[in-house]
Amino acid sequence: MLKLHFKTWLIAALLAPVSLNAQEILRINGSTTVNPVVTESAEILKKENGLTIHVDTQGGSSGGISALGDGRVDIAMSSRPLNPADQAKYPKVKFHPTKIGADAVAMIVSKDVWNGGIKALTRNQIKGIYEKKITNWQQVGGPNRRIAFFNKEPGRGTWEVFAKWLYGKIENVPPVAHPEVGANEEARNKVSTSHGAISQLSAAWADGKTVFALAIQSDDGKIIPPTAEHIAKGDYPMSRSLWLITNGPPTGNAKTLIDFVISERTHDIIHKHGYLTLADLK
Amino acid sequence: MSTTATWQSRRPPDLTTCLVWSGALAFALAMLIALGLWIAQASPAISEYGQTLVTGQQWFYRHQLFGAAGMIYGSIVVSLLAFLLATPLAFGTAIYLSEYLPAPARPWAKTAVEFLAAIPSVVYGLLGVILLRNWMADFLSPFDPLSGDMLATAAVLLAVMILPTVTTFAEDSLRTVPAAQRLAARALALNKSQTIRRIVLPQAWPGMVGAALLGIGRALGETIAVFLVIGRLDNQFPDHLFNPSLLIEPGQTLTSKRGGPETHIPMGAPLHWGAILSLGLILLIVSALFVITGILLRRLQKTRS
Repeated sequence: MLKLHFKTWLIAALLAPVSLNAQEILRINGSTTVNPVVTESAEILKKENGLTIHVDTQGGSSGGISALGDGRVDIAMSSRPLNPADQAKYPKVKFHPTKIGADAVAMIVSKDVWNGGIKALTRNQIKGIYEKKITNWQQVGGPNRRIAFFNKEPGRGTWEVFAKWLYGKIENVPPVAHPEVGANEEARNKVSTSHGAISQLSAAWADGKTVFALAIQSDDGKIIPPTAEHIAKGDYPMSRSLWLITNGPPTGNAKTLIDFVISERTHDIIHKHGYLTLADLK
Repeated sequence: MSTTATWQSRRPPDLTTCLVWSGALAFALAMLIALGLWIAQASPAISEYGQTLVTGQQWFYRHQLFGAAGMIYGSIVVSLLAFLLATPLAFGTAIYLSEYLPAPARPWAKTAVEFLAAIPSVVYGLLGVILLRNWMADFLSPFDPLSGDMLATAAVLLAVMILPTVTTFAEDSLRTVPAAQRLAARALALNKSQTIRRIVLPQAWPGMVGAALLGIGRALGETIAVFLVIGRLDNQFPDHLFNPSLLIEPGQTLTSKRGGPETHIPMGAPLHWGAILSLGLILLIVSALFVITGILLRRLQKTRS
């Protein structure tokens, strides 16, 4: 009798994943920047339409695009545009990007740097810091403190936007190694708990209490902070679009989710997280 | 004696023996197949880069540079330091638990230690991020570290993590020494510390070395906790091998690299993917070297006694 029970359980355990699959879970992976908007939309859709949606942020934007290319997810979240290399890696996949809003990459610093008088940097200064030619905040008019640069890890949309702004093409980025940070939460945590720290972070995540977003000083001396106004106008240099990418035009549950994300109903969610909606960009 | 053996071998094997053997063989076969697939996928990188995979000090995948020396250094230094920090404490605790603690309290203490061993490593990692990083930055501030992300932080965190494992296995080993021998030692007028040093430790020692080895094994393989506090700075390799200054710098281990985003990026790029998998093979070899060293040490111990 006991044995029979055991067998039943074993069969049930083996069948469980199959029956779960039958429910059609919408699988999503990618950017930690896009993630909060999609996750909150997913929660609303779960209540309203009973959709089961799994959202993950393994490997950031590139991780999401790879997962979509391999067929491991249905939607990739990306904070960088698709590039020819993605298509070359997955020639059979018809990447179909849908723009859902916009955001900017800010250079964020820790409190001691901000209070030490660093409020803006020029492109060349940031380049110097990245290439380790500038290693102390004194060299750019700040406190006497070594610069701790936390680099967004490769594959993150944030890093690619930063790299393209400084070097034009990613292939031109010089080989320098920095300590790496992954998700936005980690970047913010590490910068806020270190002295003399700087990193790249989605501007919306710079809370102005634990980490502070620097303005970019342009060549003609204009100081441009990463605010919604400058992102919408397009004069803040590291602004970027946010994307949901599917294999071919979205269908079924993926379409339901994407349509919801670009509808007016998510404007509050998008604004709450500090991003711009499509309407803001018009 | 020999007749008994032949008689046994001629007897048809019973069901239990069959099951045990087929299970063991199936497991071994599965492991071999996995290892074979692994090596096959790593082979493009191995044949392209050869020994520079191990000796190369530069890893920049966008520039097709795949040298793991910095990560091997990181893995070994962090694990050894964790081992040096944890083992004396663990052995001390084990001796206290086994020899000094009153018998009624022992199960409680033992359960507490094993409970510590059961805490998932991500919890230790997050505690490392929230607490240990800042403590280490303050504690080592005379040396002016860049931040709390250091090889030393990872080593201390690993030491805390392997401490309960080593303690509980070392204690098990001490308990295998029969109580009668302790009584006999008392009868011969040896005091408590003499009994421990002359009677208990020599017999328990091989097991305790085994416990320490398990600790190193866990330290070498630990990923997520190290990942969170080590800083993930590539290509840190000392100019001379015993230069301690890198300990207060961020670094990278074989596991922290594999825990990072690079495992998601190289799909469709066989050389990069092969290089990433080679890191796993290197880790396997490093772990094997540690284990073999441990076995040899134990054998040396046995032949001497």
